[in-house]
Amino acid sequence: MRIICFNALLLHLLGFIAGQECAAAKKNSPIAVTDFRGKQLKLDKPATRIVCLIESALSGLYMLGEEGRVIGIPANIYQGSVFRYYAAMDKRIKERKLPAPGNWDFVNIESVMALKPDLVIIWSSQTESITALEERGVPVFGVFLNRKEDVYKEMLSLGQLTGNLKRAEKLVDYTKKEIRRFQERVGAIPDAKRQSVYYMWAQGNLETSCGNSTVNDLIELSGGRNACAFMPDEHLVVNMENVIAWNPDLVVMWYNEKKNPSDIIKDPQWQTIHAVRTGRVHELPEIFLCDLWTLKFHFVVKMVAKWAYPELFKDIDLQKEKTAMLENLYGDKLKGI
Amino acid sequence: MGFFVKNLSFGYGENIILHNITLRANAGRFTVLLGKNGSGKSTLIKIMAGLLPCKAGYIEVLGRDIGKLTSTERAGLIGYLSQFHTPIFPFLVEEVVLTGRASYVFTVPGRKDLEKTDEAMDKVGITHLRKRPYTELSGGERQLVMVARVLAQEPEVILLDEPLSHLDFSNQARLLALIKDLVVKGLTVVAVLHDPNTAFFYGDDFLFMKDGFIIEPQKSKDPWDASTLTEVYDTRIETVPFRGRSLVMPI
Amino acid sequence: MKPFFKQVIFYALPLPLIVVSLFVGPSNVVNTSDIIDWLMRSISFSPVPDAQNKQMVEAIVLGVRLPRVLLAFSIGSALTVSGNSFQALFRNPLVSPDILGLSSGAAFGAAIALSFPLLPLQPMAFVFGLLAVGLSYFLALTRKGVSTVSLILGGIIVSGIFTALLTMVQFLTDPFKLQTIVHWTMGNLHNASWSKVRSSALPILFGIAWLFVMRWRMNVIALGDEETKAVGLNPEKEKLLILIPATFIASASVAVAGMIGMVGLAVPHMVRMMTGPDNTKTQPVSIAFGGSFLLIVDNFSRTITSFEIPIGIFTTLIGGPFFIYLLKKSLMVCREV
Repeated sequence: MRIICFNALLLHLLGFIAGQECAAAKKNSPIAVTDFRGKQLKLDKPATRIVCLIESALSGLYMLGEEGRVIGIPANIYQGSVFRYYAAMDKRIKERKLPAPGNWDFVNIESVMALKPDLVIIWSSQTESITALEERGVPVFGVFLNRKEDVYKEMLSLGQLTGNLKRAEKLVDYTKKEIRRFQERVGAIPDAKRQSVYYMWAQGNLETSCGNSTVNDLIELSGGRNACAFMPDEHLVVNMENVIAWNPDLVVMWYNEKKNPSDIIKDPQWQTIHAVRTGRVHELPEIFLCDLWTLKFHFVVKMVAKWAYPELFKDIDLQKEKTAMLENLYGDKLKGI
Repeated sequence: MGFFVKNLSFGYGENIILHNITLRANAGRFTVLLGKNGSGKSTLIKIMAGLLPCKAGYIEVLGRDIGKLTSTERAGLIGYLSQFHTPIFPFLVEEVVLTGRASYVFTVPGRKDLEKTDEAMDKVGITHLRKRPYTELSGGERQLVMVARVLAQEPEVILLDEPLSHLDFSNQARLLALIKDLVVKGLTVVAVLHDPNTAFFYGDDFLFMKDGFIIEPQKSKDPWDASTLTEVYDTRIETVPFRGRSLVMPI
Repeated sequence: MKPFFKQVIFYALPLPLIVVSLFVGPSNVVNTSDIIDWLMRSISFSPVPDAQNKQMVEAIVLGVRLPRVLLAFSIGSALTVSGNSFQALFRNPLVSPDILGLSSGAAFGAAIALSFPLLPLQPMAFVFGLLAVGLSYFLALTRKGVSTVSLILGGIIVSGIFTALLTMVQFLTDPFKLQTIVHWTMGNLHNASWSKVRSSALPILFGIAWLFVMRWRMNVIALGDEETKAVGLNPEKEKLLILIPATFIASASVAVAGMIGMVGLAVPHMVRMMTGPDNTKTQPVSIAFGGSFLLIVDNFSRTITSFEIPIGIFTTLIGGPFFIYLLKKSLMVCREV
């Protein structure tokens, strides 16, 4: 009699524990993520067949170590300067075996569907492609990046979508920590002594970004002042006279195939500008390392801070910072590049 | 010899328009070319003016081989009045007449060119129209302007393709009188005329064309003889003697 | 108004306009008194108390505004003279220098140069502009010479081909370069510099001078091919003698400033409205008025916003309605088309 009771009790106990586990399992599985359009995506489990058509998001997936889930990449990976990095990280890309069914502008819907994706990552502005994919039942994560908070959000969303939120949070924390490291030093600089920085896009000398932009964030974080911060536009063309009047202390050029800092220093119209007179015109060296749309943007912050306040950051070795960043973000994958 | 055309043939592809034409137009006289529509008169006149290429045949104007002339030399010798004028911009009459001086001008016309233009307009009697836009004129007035242009060019030979079309009666008379006057002064004129009567009344020599061939009138007969005209125009003709020549009417 | 006074106004207008234009610009930078001050001191060679300000005024007036003003004037003249010449040549008041594919060719040349770092921008645009016109001419050439209709048809074909090629380049390039290409084709004077003035001055002056010599002959051509032959000119030769310099100056203009619409089409009509169709009058007035027109429009675009809007937009928005007005009022100086 006692044995039967004891067994019944044991059975109930086991059943109860099993039940709890089941409940717990059910709570973990569905993934709910809101993309940048405000649309909610619901996945039963982390995505395993991701077609990522945005290069910056793709680099994020590699940072997470979740590149195994990627089955389609943007076409521009195979052209241009970023190829060697991806080739070093992924044999499939090196051998050009990974399909590239689209990019920031054109998407071959058939090719994408042929890959049978369970998630597509794409710019939210590509509305036609998004509609075409969603109509066919593919979950689409639309991205739109304006400020650094958006970059963090993207990384965390990618973490959720791949079931690796922990690593995503770690990467974001690392980035924030690095920025704080520099913030502590530049925070002490009084407003009057802040260097004014003019940012130059590669499209033209007079193309810059003003108030509400990642460029502005970048400049502020590095302790400088954007020369045209008072204008709210994200990207616009300014008048040469204005640039002369703003008289920036530092000119930062986005990676430019056609021009070097020496071209600006030699340009007769720029001669009166403080940055030119003191030879402080610098160009960002690389697209991959300096991508403002990824967590790597903190490296640019460091570079600009060092250019703006060379004395203050005398002890900083940018080469070491770069190596440390690559290790922290990509692990061993880009060792020795 | 004003014009000497020898063995001239011309066509577009397989379409032959002129068959082995040989003709003579005397210098200092008013020669009229008559024939049905489509007989090739306009084409012949154009080739004689140098506007169409003379590939098969030989043409001499005032003793000079037309094929060997430069455009400037040709313009100094031959003036041509075409049938159709389609202006787009409303140049003033005097500006249009002035363009006749093109072969004498290098950059812009000089005083002499302006003087010749005035003279030409005066001769034709259109000086009162000089400041009017060409596009506002009637067909007849435009015709007179183009005649003035030819005169401003100061050629020695003038070729006219149906110069009397669009002109009213009085202007017809005026133009014909002008032509007679020019001939008296030594110009050679060859004109295509529509109406045989006008031709016979004003002209000195006559040429006939039919289906791209020159029709020679019988030696003993007058040009205004009914038999020649019947052949040329494929119509029965009746003649009425008039002032030593004849008036003709189709029946 | 007496023709004499009209002429005086046209020929006397440019110089004072150019001087006044030097005072036009963002007023927060240098104001009128600064400039007058600087002018006075420069003329009298007296010492300047505020060297910094003097430098800035000089940099702006001489380095930025003067080249821009001169460039605007010369391009305005060039495009107007070119348009006027094309209209006489084609006996058609609706043609512009673009009719033979010049703009499409130049845009394609520029697009290639912008996509490949080693190719120089201005020469490529210039050469391809000429190439396009040459190709149109070649397509239209028959044993009998070149008729107006076949030239226009040739131009349409060539224009279409280069536009398609341009689209292909845009399709294949990355977003940054694409933006540069699009900006270039919109037309711009904000990158005006002395080097641009230097590189365009010679071809434009040369071409305008050549066309000036041809000005009376255009009257002859305008009456018709047969009429031209009758008075002793070779229409084929005369057409080429007009086509070549007109293409030259239009191509040089497009090479330094992109595509500025409407000037080659509408402004010659404005000129003809004032002078009549006699080209001995329209050519010199085209030079004076065409240059003044574009300069005034550029002054306007410079003052209206603090950032740069491509000037092609203004010329089209101003020229377009004016053209419609002319049509409606049957003020066009030509037979009804």
